[in-house]
Amino acid sequence: MKRLFGLILVALAAAVVTRAGTCDSVPEIKPLRPVMSAYMVEGGGSHLADTYLTPLKYDGWGVALRYERMQAMKFNPDRWVMRLTAGIEADHTENPARNATMWYWGLDLSWGMMHRWPLPHGLTVAGGGSTSLDLGCLYNSRNGNNPASAKAAWTVNVTGYVSWNLNLWRLPVTLRYQPTIPVTGVFFAPDYGELYYEIYLGNHSGLAHAAWWGNYFMMENLLTADLHFGNTSLRVGYRGRILSTQVNDITTRMITNNFVLGVSGEWISVSPRKGIDPRAGIVSALY
Amino acid sequence: MKKILLISLLSLLSGACHEIEEWDNDPKGNFDALWTILDEHYCFFEEKGVDWNEVYNRYVAKISNGMTSEELFLVCAGMLDELKDGHVNLSSSFNTSYYRKWWSDYPQNYNERIVQEYYFNFNYRSTGGIDFGILPENIGYMHYGSFSDDIGEGNLDNVLAYFSTCNGLIIDVRDNGGGDLTNVETLVRRFITERSLAGYISHKTGKGHGEFSEPYAYYYEPADEGRVMWGKPVVVLTNRSTYSAANNFVAIMKLLPRVTVAGATTGGGSGMPFSSELPCGWTVRFSACSILDAMGNSTENGVDPTEGCAVDMDIEATLDGHDTILDFAIGYLTRS
Repeated sequence: MKRLFGLILVALAAAVVTRAGTCDSVPEIKPLRPVMSAYMVEGGGSHLADTYLTPLKYDGWGVALRYERMQAMKFNPDRWVMRLTAGIEADHTENPARNATMWYWGLDLSWGMMHRWPLPHGLTVAGGGSTSLDLGCLYNSRNGNNPASAKAAWTVNVTGYVSWNLNLWRLPVTLRYQPTIPVTGVFFAPDYGELYYEIYLGNHSGLAHAAWWGNYFMMENLLTADLHFGNTSLRVGYRGRILSTQVNDITTRMITNNFVLGVSGEWISVSPRKGIDPRAGIVSALY
Repeated sequence: MKKILLISLLSLLSGACHEIEEWDNDPKGNFDALWTILDEHYCFFEEKGVDWNEVYNRYVAKISNGMTSEELFLVCAGMLDELKDGHVNLSSSFNTSYYRKWWSDYPQNYNERIVQEYYFNFNYRSTGGIDFGILPENIGYMHYGSFSDDIGEGNLDNVLAYFSTCNGLIIDVRDNGGGDLTNVETLVRRFITERSLAGYISHKTGKGHGEFSEPYAYYYEPADEGRVMWGKPVVVLTNRSTYSAANNFVAIMKLLPRVTVAGATTGGGSGMPFSSELPCGWTVRFSACSILDAMGNSTENGVDPTEGCAVDMDIEATLDGHDTILDFAIGYLTRS
């Protein structure tokens, strides 16, 4: 696991160092690197289970607000892109008997870099790594001393995408499929029968756990179609997320299947002092 | 390299499938779920000498898929009563099971009306869930009926300041069935002058009946500077219905200097309860974490009064308006 983690870091570092080491004698015309921003609203089905709170599986609905930002990197912009995402999420579920409610509130933040390879016919394949911070809380209103189960994880992930720029009739469209899978990291979990009151009293031992696929499996599949109507694009898509953890005999499972609706577009930050060099090319991060 | 990839792939697939045990929503399934939840989480099997497998065999024979919900509830409640634990309840929409013998088999040793009428002529103060007043012997008296009632620091300041000229203090926690442990801390902090060991807490580390963490020592700090503190003698009054958080309060206070516990052995309930549920939607509550006193002893079966201070209420004396436990405490403080 450490080796795989190391390889990802080395690959990212190598890309930076390699580019930084080049020295052109002719002043380089820096390409314009527009920022692709997308604001999304998501909604769909949610499935929650956490044996710290209950042995039963809860089902219901979930909503989320997400922001995504992609930009070609300053070094080697044709080949490397960065991606930043942030989101807040709320899920409302009920037990099979429909007499108890479990909520999940969470936020997530992720940043990563990907190397991309342009292919013929408007296709692009990209692969790289990212790091994520996920914070959240499951809350079961019927429980007395154990009503909540806090979730916190910092992970290092592998991610990538396949995108296809095409025209549907006369409408330019960008289709993308992007999976993300954490490889390693650290996550929080109390001991099997440990109350949060004991943590409050000061017993903080054994709360952080090294993550690997055996105890922390998460996979996110994002499928988007950006319909370019003009300067702004309409984004529709699907986001599926599976999280399954098992540590200290506590099993947590969170599955969401959300419909994605949003707006996206590209923008360039221009300095009034420097202006834009008309010879500069434009390197888009996704489109 | 291939081996690593293969292992990684297998891990990926296995990791995606962490299993969660499921039960059918029928009488047998719900019974099994209840038994298993207790089997894997309840913390006093060994301390109470309960053979849970034997209990299963005895009660599963009473289960049939044709039985009604009420019949199933009674069988399940009977099984839970085998634990003899006031923190164990099964709740449905039509009933909540409750093991009562931990207090019903003992004298009540408290009558609120007698104190209010014959000792205060109904002229007492109330704040933050505390009824209080000064007895003719210049002894402060406060009755705290439930640790579920939050005590504000300002409330305590007022109560203790009101008693500032008194020679002693009686804290009556009879019939206090417990509540929030943070209120225990709030109250105890007024009686300590330095960081003090309050007790230990131990939780289950696995599904086995004997899998427990090392007891974790927890401490209380004195109340913040500027708060009204109490350093004069204290008598804490207890009865069998002093339970759970109140039991914890008595266990901590008993080991403090200048504090005496008088009355009857408390009801116990030192297990911090967890909640869970059955496929049919019934809720079950049970003791999950054991709290030990500062000597490392379990108080699940109660805290005894200070030696020489075990007193019962004299029923005949109550007819004359006397609370003999309270009288004992007044005499004890007057003498000291």
